[in-house]
Amino acid sequence: MSKRKIKEPVRKPWIWIVMAVIVIAGVPFWYSEDAIEPFIFGFPYWAFISLVFMLLLCVYLCWLSLTQWNLIEEEEDGRKGDE
Amino acid sequence: MNEELVFAGMDGVVILIAFAVIMLGIGYFAGRGKDLHNSMSDYFLAGRGLGIVALFFTLYATQYSGNTVVGYAPAGYRSGFSWLQSIPFMTIIVGVYLLYAPRMYVIAKRRNYLTPTDWISDRFKSKGVTILAIILMLWGLGNYLLEQLVAIGQAVSGLTGGTIPYHIAVVVFIIVMLVYEWMGGMRAVAYTDVFQGIVLMVGIIALLGGALYLVGGSFGDVSQYLADNEPEKIGVPPFATSINWLSMIVLTGLGAAIYPHAIQRIYSSRSERTLKRSFAGMALMPPITTGLVFVVGIIGIMMFPGLDTQGSEQLVGLMANEVAGINPIFYWIMVIMFGGIVAAILSTADSVLLSFSSMVSNDIYGKFINQNASEQKKIMVGKVVGIIAIGILLIIAWNPPGTLYEIFVLKFELLVQVFPAFVLGIYWKRLSAKPVFWGMLAGALIAGIMTLTGYKTFMGIHGGIIGLVVNFAICIVGSYSVKLSQKQKEEHEKITNFNVQA
Repeated sequence: MSKRKIKEPVRKPWIWIVMAVIVIAGVPFWYSEDAIEPFIFGFPYWAFISLVFMLLLCVYLCWLSLTQWNLIEEEEDGRKGDE
Repeated sequence: MNEELVFAGMDGVVILIAFAVIMLGIGYFAGRGKDLHNSMSDYFLAGRGLGIVALFFTLYATQYSGNTVVGYAPAGYRSGFSWLQSIPFMTIIVGVYLLYAPRMYVIAKRRNYLTPTDWISDRFKSKGVTILAIILMLWGLGNYLLEQLVAIGQAVSGLTGGTIPYHIAVVVFIIVMLVYEWMGGMRAVAYTDVFQGIVLMVGIIALLGGALYLVGGSFGDVSQYLADNEPEKIGVPPFATSINWLSMIVLTGLGAAIYPHAIQRIYSSRSERTLKRSFAGMALMPPITTGLVFVVGIIGIMMFPGLDTQGSEQLVGLMANEVAGINPIFYWIMVIMFGGIVAAILSTADSVLLSFSSMVSNDIYGKFINQNASEQKKIMVGKVVGIIAIGILLIIAWNPPGTLYEIFVLKFELLVQVFPAFVLGIYWKRLSAKPVFWGMLAGALIAGIMTLTGYKTFMGIHGGIIGLVVNFAICIVGSYSVKLSQKQKEEHEKITNFNVQA
């Protein structure tokens, strides 16, 4: 509470670059036509790799929400006590 | 519309009545003892006091509708593994929230915004921009509501095997929704969403469990079956499909994140902490919602090979029939799941209707017709016009158009054109009203004309995205050519700078 530290995702370019890389890596542009086998957990090879990037995107966005965003939380805490 | 379900009939009717009673009860308790009808922010935004449970579930149940099950499983059936895209295009919505919600939450709270239009008119101070944005947003909402109305009738008449006919099903459930929304406003909508969201989740998991059991428990066998019999559904998607996949991510992400009812959920949060925790939870939901529905669709290919487009639309009903036949426990879970689909449709429809009413009451009536009206009167106008709008949409809904997915894309095409004004306007002080107006209009015309003339996509890219690119270009180039006065700069600083204590 002593020092206010403002964090806002829009001010950090790396957040958006990493996000774009994960999203585009998850689109199946990158595979040769025979990238079906091996099956991994029942998913064809290409779909499994794509799925990994999709899950990574979920975790990344979850983490961003919790750690890279802090504008008025302390101010609100100060005003009405802890929620 | 659906194939006759083995569990259709009285059991379905009993579950639906039970669900209706629960929702009405929640609505009654949400509004009881509160003076909701004299304050617009109490009625439409739950007094800006939604806590983490209600906010998370209302975001969830609003974003994921019954359509997520009954429409997306057939899409997976028809497209095969390329329908995996339904996971990232739902996930990215949270990414777009992160682009604007942190600042918008602060601005909206300080300046007491009720609707997205409040921000647009506060920021641009232009009647043209405000009115055009209202038209695009109401159009998107109306279309969205229409889709839900069509879906309610199909789900209920399917569940009850026609015991409750399509038309009566729609009318009865609309009345249930109107009653609880009338009693409790946003609180009723959010609290019923908790119930509706949980039922939807349980239903999806049960359907997947039953379907997996029926195909022998191994998803690998399903994939092998596809590789042997329908290799195009498991192969690496062609380049054009991948482009379309990426375009879908962009269109859904930008469109769904600025739905008026989505924006109003940001306004309704009790605190910044509540909001970011809710988003963090939402980021993890696509794999266990659209992801599981995708798997259901893929399993459907093995269980019911060879369905045409029309036939595949019945996929969830067909699978529920088989799953219900396993044993009495699955039977009842499937009955509850179909009730859950109805509940999920309602949970989306009620949010959309509330947002629609709030825009009529605050933006049209309050800003342009009767600025001096009391809050009570404005709320009443919003409610009554909402009911009239439902009546008009019902008349259209009696003749349901095409497949559900088609309508889903259509509503984003126009709505997404509000994006530059809404989001760029927060961070870029040069952005001026005139270029915003012409950009929005050009984008909407391009998207609308492309859709109406049957060219929904160009080289896999949706018309809405092409319109949006033109829209952005006009906004940016146009704004650079307009000189900004010192007063305008200061005004923008005053509105958007959260360091200044209000």
